[in-house]
Amino acid sequence: MLDLILLDTHLPSSNLPYLFAAFAVSWVVLFGYLFYVNRRQHEMRKEIARLQNVVEQNQEEE
Amino acid sequence: MASTQSLEDTKSMGRLPSAKTSLAAITGVMMLVDLYLIFMVAPTDAVLGHVQRVFYFHVPIAIMSFLAFFVVFLGSLMYLIKRTPKWDAIAHASAEVGVVFVTLALITGIIWARPVWNTWWTWEPRLTTTLILWLIYVAYLMVRSYAPTESKGAIYAAVMGIIGFVDVPIVYYSVVWWRSIHPSPVVGPFAQSDALDGTMALILLYSFITFVFFFAYMVAERMALRNTEEALGRIRFVLRRGER
Repeated sequence: MLDLILLDTHLPSSNLPYLFAAFAVSWVVLFGYLFYVNRRQHEMRKEIARLQNVVEQNQEEE
Repeated sequence: MASTQSLEDTKSMGRLPSAKTSLAAITGVMMLVDLYLIFMVAPTDAVLGHVQRVFYFHVPIAIMSFLAFFVVFLGSLMYLIKRTPKWDAIAHASAEVGVVFVTLALITGIIWARPVWNTWWTWEPRLTTTLILWLIYVAYLMVRSYAPTESKGAIYAAVMGIIGFVDVPIVYYSVVWWRSIHPSPVVGPFAQSDALDGTMALILLYSFITFVFFFAYMVAERMALRNTEEALGRIRFVLRRGER
């Protein structure tokens, strides 16, 4: 009985959770990083557009 | 005049360059094909089982971190010689992407090690030198962030980018110099010719090419972000000057 249990833990299918975890972490980290870069880019563009309006208003007042 | 130029520069920031979009599309398609090859075509390893498929991600990711730090080394060297911001931007973007890749190489290695070595972590040479590599480039990014001025940060980081690269060949040769439980190299000058089955070798090669595209896309995105940061800095400078 003990031999059978040990054999079962060494079957290729018993490694599937580790395979899933490795690929899931890879996708989360890679796309998480790209999402972070894109979100910052988006926020900065919004800030640039806002500041451009301020500069244009200042120029019109002058 | 300077303010007009700054505003003109910032007006082009909202458009995504078509080259970068094409690179993203190519990378996405290549990655889907790569996943199909890894899960549907690659044979299951008779000894390690399904977890061996981690290798098709883990090895290219680790090699991409070496490539990234080589680009940091080149960019840093060129920046110190020419003092052109373009080289600093390349080194900075590549260092950040390299840290992402080396972090993933460590994490995927740890996950692979648990069922194969029966431990999450061991202080064997490859793992230890890779952890040191991670610490060096995290320090590189911290130096940039905490330097008193941006130009000083770029110079300090360039010096670190050149010296830090010394650890890359140490990581690669660690499994040759000190025999340990880590598998021998499957790519490079010390790779054994029969280390891989033919189908496995082809899928690994395809994974490498896919990750080269992924690396190029990530660096392009990070450099675009830096351009936007600089444009925002310029417009803030114009506004501050106007207030005085």
